[in-house]
Amino acid sequence: MAKWGMVIDLDKCTGCQACTTACSMENNTLPGENWQDVLYYHEGQYPSGQMKWLPRPCMQCENPSCVHVCPTRATYKDMDAGGIVFVDWNKCIGCKYCMIACPYGVRFYADEKPLLEPDLRAIFPGEGGQLWSPPYQNPEEDWRRGIGVQPHGVVSKCTFCYHRVSKAPPGTPDLDEDDPMLKEYVPACVRTCPPKARFFGDLDNPSSQVNRLIGDKHGVRLLDHTGNRPQVYYLGAGAGIPAFTPKTKS
Amino acid sequence: MSNEAVLQDAPRGGGMPILTLLIALIAIGLGVYTSLPLFSEGHAAFNTSSNVVWGLPVVAYVFLALSSTGLAMVSSLAMVFGWKDFYPIAKRCLWLAVTVLIAGFISLALELGHPFRMLWAIPLNLQIQSPLFWMGVWYLIALIFMIVKLALLHRDEWSTSRSRTVGIATFVSESLAAVTLALVFGMMAMRPYWYGSFVPVYFLVTAALSGVAFATLFAFFAHRLGTTSMSARMKHLMTDLMPKIFAALLGTVLVLAVARVITGLWSNQPEISLVTRHFVDSPWFHVQLWLGMVLPFILLLMPKLRVQPLIQVLASVLVLLGVFIGRYEYIVGGQLIPLWKGTWYPDLIAYTPSLTEWGIVIFGVGVGLLIYAVGTWMFRLDDAPADAR
Amino acid sequence: GIGGLPGLTPVKEAHAQPVRGETRVTKNICGQCPARCGIDVYTTAGRVHAIYGDLGNPIANGKLCPKGHLGTYFLYDPDRFKGPMKRTNPRKGRDEDPGFVPISWDEALDTIAARLNDLRDRGESFRFAHFYGRGWGASDAGLYGDFGKLYGTPNSAIGHASICAEGSKRAKQATDGNNSYNSYDYRNTNYILNFGAAFLEAFRPYNYLMQVWGHMRTKSPQTRVTTVDVRMNPTMAASDRAVYIKPATDGAMALAIAHVMLTEGLWDQEFVGDFRDGRNAFRAGRPIPRGSFEERWVRGIEEWWNDELKDRTPEWAESITTVPARTIVTVAREFGTTRPAMAIMERGPTSHTNGTYNGMAIHALNALSGCLFAEGGMYYQMGPSYGPLPVNSDDFMDDYAKEIRGKYPRIDKAGTAEWPMAGTMIQETAEHHLKGDPYKLDTAMFFYTNPIWTAPDPKVWEEALKDVFIIDTSPFPGETAMYADIIVPEPTYLERLQDSPTYPFEGWPMAALRVPAVDPIYDTKHFGDTLIEIGKRIKGPTGDFYKALDNVENVLRHRAKGFENDPGDNGVRDFESWKAKGVWYKKPYHWRQFRGEFYEWDGEGYNRQMTPEEVKEKLIKTPSGKFEFKSGFLEAHADYIQRELGVPARRVGLPQWVEPTSSGEGDLYFVTPKTPMHAEGRSGNIPHAIALMQPVAGGRTTVYLEIHPETARARGIRNGDRVRIRSNLGFVEAYCRYVASNRPDTLVMPMEHGHWAQGRWARGRLPGHSGEITENVSDPISGLASYYAGMVTVERA
Ligand SMILES: Nc1nc2c(c(=O)[nH]1)N[C@H]1C(S)=C(S)[C@@H](COP(=O)(O)OP(=O)(O)OC[C@H]3O[C@@H](n4cnc5c(=O)[nH]c(N)nc54)[C@H](O)[C@@H]3O)O[C@H]1N2
Ligand SMILES: Nc1nc2c(c(=O)[nH]1)N[C@H]1C(S)=C(S)[C@@H](COP(=O)(O)OP(=O)(O)OC[C@H]3O[C@@H](n4cnc5c(=O)[nH]c(N)nc54)[C@H](O)[C@@H]3O)O[C@H]1N2
Ligand code: SF4
Ligand code: SF4
Ligand code: SF4
Ligand code: SF4
Ligand code: SF4
Ligand SMILES: [Mo]
Repeated sequence: MAKWGMVIDLDKCTGCQACTTACSMENNTLPGENWQDVLYYHEGQYPSGQMKWLPRPCMQCENPSCVHVCPTRATYKDMDAGGIVFVDWNKCIGCKYCMIACPYGVRFYADEKPLLEPDLRAIFPGEGGQLWSPPYQNPEEDWRRGIGVQPHGVVSKCTFCYHRVSKAPPGTPDLDEDDPMLKEYVPACVRTCPPKARFFGDLDNPSSQVNRLIGDKHGVRLLDHTGNRPQVYYLGAGAGIPAFTPKTKS
Repeated sequence: MSNEAVLQDAPRGGGMPILTLLIALIAIGLGVYTSLPLFSEGHAAFNTSSNVVWGLPVVAYVFLALSSTGLAMVSSLAMVFGWKDFYPIAKRCLWLAVTVLIAGFISLALELGHPFRMLWAIPLNLQIQSPLFWMGVWYLIALIFMIVKLALLHRDEWSTSRSRTVGIATFVSESLAAVTLALVFGMMAMRPYWYGSFVPVYFLVTAALSGVAFATLFAFFAHRLGTTSMSARMKHLMTDLMPKIFAALLGTVLVLAVARVITGLWSNQPEISLVTRHFVDSPWFHVQLWLGMVLPFILLLMPKLRVQPLIQVLASVLVLLGVFIGRYEYIVGGQLIPLWKGTWYPDLIAYTPSLTEWGIVIFGVGVGLLIYAVGTWMFRLDDAPADAR
Repeated sequence: GIGGLPGLTPVKEAHAQPVRGETRVTKNICGQCPARCGIDVYTTAGRVHAIYGDLGNPIANGKLCPKGHLGTYFLYDPDRFKGPMKRTNPRKGRDEDPGFVPISWDEALDTIAARLNDLRDRGESFRFAHFYGRGWGASDAGLYGDFGKLYGTPNSAIGHASICAEGSKRAKQATDGNNSYNSYDYRNTNYILNFGAAFLEAFRPYNYLMQVWGHMRTKSPQTRVTTVDVRMNPTMAASDRAVYIKPATDGAMALAIAHVMLTEGLWDQEFVGDFRDGRNAFRAGRPIPRGSFEERWVRGIEEWWNDELKDRTPEWAESITTVPARTIVTVAREFGTTRPAMAIMERGPTSHTNGTYNGMAIHALNALSGCLFAEGGMYYQMGPSYGPLPVNSDDFMDDYAKEIRGKYPRIDKAGTAEWPMAGTMIQETAEHHLKGDPYKLDTAMFFYTNPIWTAPDPKVWEEALKDVFIIDTSPFPGETAMYADIIVPEPTYLERLQDSPTYPFEGWPMAALRVPAVDPIYDTKHFGDTLIEIGKRIKGPTGDFYKALDNVENVLRHRAKGFENDPGDNGVRDFESWKAKGVWYKKPYHWRQFRGEFYEWDGEGYNRQMTPEEVKEKLIKTPSGKFEFKSGFLEAHADYIQRELGVPARRVGLPQWVEPTSSGEGDLYFVTPKTPMHAEGRSGNIPHAIALMQPVAGGRTTVYLEIHPETARARGIRNGDRVRIRSNLGFVEAYCRYVASNRPDTLVMPMEHGHWAQGRWARGRLPGHSGEITENVSDPISGLASYYAGMVTVERA
């Protein structure tokens, strides 16, 4: 079985958020429920100001703290699915401990106040136990893996688009969206990334492009000191997030 | 009037059951009413979010669950450690431990996405790596032991070996529960405000403090806020031993709390220093420190004051308020720094509990009180072994 | 309710098996900005559920910008118009409910046609105007010309170009004779000097620009990028060098760069020419001797230097632009020594009163670097090989049409003595109508434009359109639609059959096609069909013309016939294959300048050398056939320019420094750019877009006014305060955020919210609309509204 990994080249990323919207439409997430988010940072002062950004999916950690804390094993790492960390929506009790334990802030409890009024969930009311039913809902669904529109009271997160990835021919080292034969199996965020800053492939295959990139361009994993050991690697300058500073009040 | 006579006069389980019942029912009514939106809107009626995921209901749960541990500790003084002076309040504390734990569970359950699913999903999946799992296991075991122990006490089995064994098991499981609850937070290295091996100690000490405060409050409440209806032993306990232990615990907690604030402020790590500063800047912090700790500490230090029931009741109420604020600060504090949000959240995350969240807590407390009131009627909570009456 | 106590509601455990129906992929092009990315639209069981970039489309290459994916939302927007409607409330205004009631298509079309016939009977057909913004091709905006000609109005159609980006086009017309945006060979360039084009947020084609950005930044040698802007943005942040410039002064910087390139001998001799004696005589402040320079493909370098450039030193430019002279010299040397190197621009430098001159100075750098028509340089877009329409409109002109032709000016007076060089002046329309000068409009039909909101000073429009019979075609309840008397709604772009030749891209011709993914989900009609149906109802031969056109599909089938003789690279040779592939294109670009010689593609290579006459005809279309540092186009309007801009008539042709005029008495510049999430007039009502409106300081539910902390503190404004931004026109309110990386003298507020219509999410969302405090002032040459020339004040609200 492959070990799926993602590589994000920050030297190419333009901070456009196409990955974010592609993910939210592919996975029917609500506004603000950004399984994939781009974080921005303003630093410095005119005339030498800076602006930085960092796209952030779930890291699908090799040693996932979210999994360790889940009292029901609803969150689990599936080694038979390339090491993707899933949430079983039939088991999750909505205790949110996994959200507490994830160092990367990538989990969502969508049963919360709507970010935006009017509430989309009221406009497209949920059917079949779903939190909402957008007319453009993706027909793909697998609640045991947190795929589809989530029901009430559970936690959701990036699935590495398992519903796409799982259909790839076994043994494919890299899911390259430029290959017409493979494009449908590529995670939405990777498929759409305009400057091709994102790559997806098998970390267990030494000759995969993701491994080559990690090797050639000194891939790093974020917050490696937490021991979570992400399966998402970053290349280029600016892989890291500035320490939190609260906004200047006046 | 002899003590015996007074004892005869006193209602069997303690004073003012009607009042307790009334308060319980009002709380339940108010709780149900304010948490109604939960039934129409679900958790959208909460002000928690994917950023502050654990809000007031969890705070209340931790407060009540740890108070349960504290109460179990107080009752164990006599029943496990053989400190006979404490027998007069042992049974009441045990029952209180049960009721506050149930109140806490209610608060927690209504905060869960799927409370009923929990009933099968946790046992069927046995995730033994999760501190949350163990916390649940220990509190559940504790609850069972406490109920068994209570049944034994009710049959006047005060110190048979099986009663003693169950008592020890209660104490051990309640303590382990508190420790694992501490680890639920303390093991989260990604939340520096929570992290640390010191947390279990802190939780145990503060649990004991809130246990003593609850015990004091309800003991006096059961005796119409006075000592006249108390037995001599009980009076001795409540005017001499308890307030001293209360003071000692409070003093310890005060030292620990101040130390925590100072290290917090001094720390360079924004997750710790900014949050500490945030709380220090809020009025609640001062309520907690001055009203919730320093004032009662002074009251309890004064030999003339601490013997007075009303002063003790006041101190208990203030301490419980202080401990509650402390729990709030701790639990919410670990979540205030936006985790990986960049300029989406340029500041600490704003969180104030919604009315519904308060409603759930009030409901839980109401149910707890109701159960307690029932107990005061049925279980002779002032009972003690014959040689300790 | 949306909730219910979670966990108490039983949930069946199904949801394990995907509900799969047949998934169909149709070709389309995204409709949210002019980039025209080809998209694959995924439909299952009649529902569109995904949009991805079309791998076979040369702009999209399988990719999309963030907006592209949100396209499904357009289709299922709950606020859409569901069918034709008429107004019942005669009063018009922001707070008036139009009282729309549904009517049949026949009633709608008959009402409109009766009105138009009536005007024609009265000899007042010129009082009917078409307005359009995002026109796509032969099947919609392409029909206007014939309509105006046959029906008899000069106002078919008034485009929105003058509130868009006419400045760069006019700068190019004035210098190289092409009234057009450029095409670019980014793939092969090694240096980009970018003046105020939001390359990584808006500049067209945004999606492709990001793709090529990924390429440029990883190719060897890496393409170096210097960006000149007035604020921090992703383009600035991602560039090798971010140069902050004082607004409206780009021309000065470009002139100084030219100055350095000339004094240091860094111009491209093969394109520009050289001193006859081979010795560089360009020295600061010193004229060069008459006739000493032998020009190749340029004209007027001697006058340009002697009358303008010799004094445009970096030090001088620093005093105008605030850009350190040192930086200017460095940039000039980099630009001058790297080949190919191109200078690009868009609305930044051109949305000012001196916009055309700024643009000319910038474009002159492309002549100096020799990148025009060169590999890694700039081209102009070729058109597709379309077939002719089934009928020729010339054959259907009745006497009335012939007589009225050319008799009346356009309502916006573009092309008249008032705006002699402007192609369109949409922003003047409202005032002209109010004044009845040149006349009053009677009826106006709007297609893909919403000037009642987007034009500068839109309140004038709100006043003016009250007594005009308005027809709106939008699928969405825009502000202009709220003034409509009749709504004839279009389906959204996912439901339409529509062609779209490419916007300027890489030069070689391309035409995409929209294929409906689903039948229109509401009772809507393609604008082209609406227009044809109206045409059929016009009395006389006009009606016959439209009966012959019949419908949009017929038009497109005839256009596609052109592909039979010129099949596309992807095998598209007729209507059916066009539908299947979604795009026809044919590489390569036909011309190439190589070391000062021009060559034409002969089918195998750039083998045919071109004569100067051919170059003039096909490529450098100026009066001289050369790149003009002394613009013949402008000289033809010398008196006008002297009057309007104060430039002495004898030197109007030179790319030169012209002081900008700011509107308003404020002390702060006010810039209202587009964000990557901004989808022309529509993102304000798209929940996901609203929630993601960054990287400017915005997002989640709003966009903020960006203010430098010093500027704020000096006015007692705290971070996050609600503030009031005031110009001569009034004020709008916004919440502010401190952004220390912007210029302290410049406020930034993305153009996004402040709608009073557009749907439930858009309505009333703060901040107020920037246009409301943008005065209607324009560059007299291009006519481009000076959106970024406003001076405002800011205070706590
Ligand atoms: N995302 C998105 N992209 C779009 C569109 C859209 O709606 N959304 N619309 C399309 C359309 S219609 C157009 S016309 C293009 C426009 O594309 P652009 O012209 O690239 O976009 P703008 O945001 O208008 O302005 C560009 C930049 O000019 C800067 N600027 C302002 N004043 C000055 C100045 O004096 N000097 C300099 N150097 N810079 C200055 C602004 O800060 C801004 O960053 O975008 C197209 N692309
Ligand atoms: N302050 C400020 N103002 C600006 C700009 C800026 O950067 N700052 N940018 C300027 C620029 S570059 C431009 S191009 C103009 C654009 O200004 P406009 O030409 O007014 O175009 P939009 O705002 O895109 O409005 C498009 C209208 O078309 C409607 N529409 C959407 N989809 C469809 C459809 O499928 N069919 C039809 N028939 N209608 C549809 C929408 O509802 C909306 O009302 O704005 C200009 N105004
Ligand atoms: S789509 Fe690609 S370039 Fe855009 S923000 Fe995401 S990772 Fe970066
Ligand atoms: S990033 Fe967070 S949610 Fe994802 S696997 Fe790691 S710990 Fe779990
Ligand atoms: S919220 Fe669900 S997935 Fe997360 S820890 Fe709790 S039960 Fe597990
Ligand atoms: S892999 Fe799929 S689910 Fe994960 S961020 Fe990318 S698009 Fe979203
Ligand atoms: S750049 Fe984005 S908005 Fe514009 S056409 Fe392409 S996908 Fe659509
Ligand atoms: Mo535009």
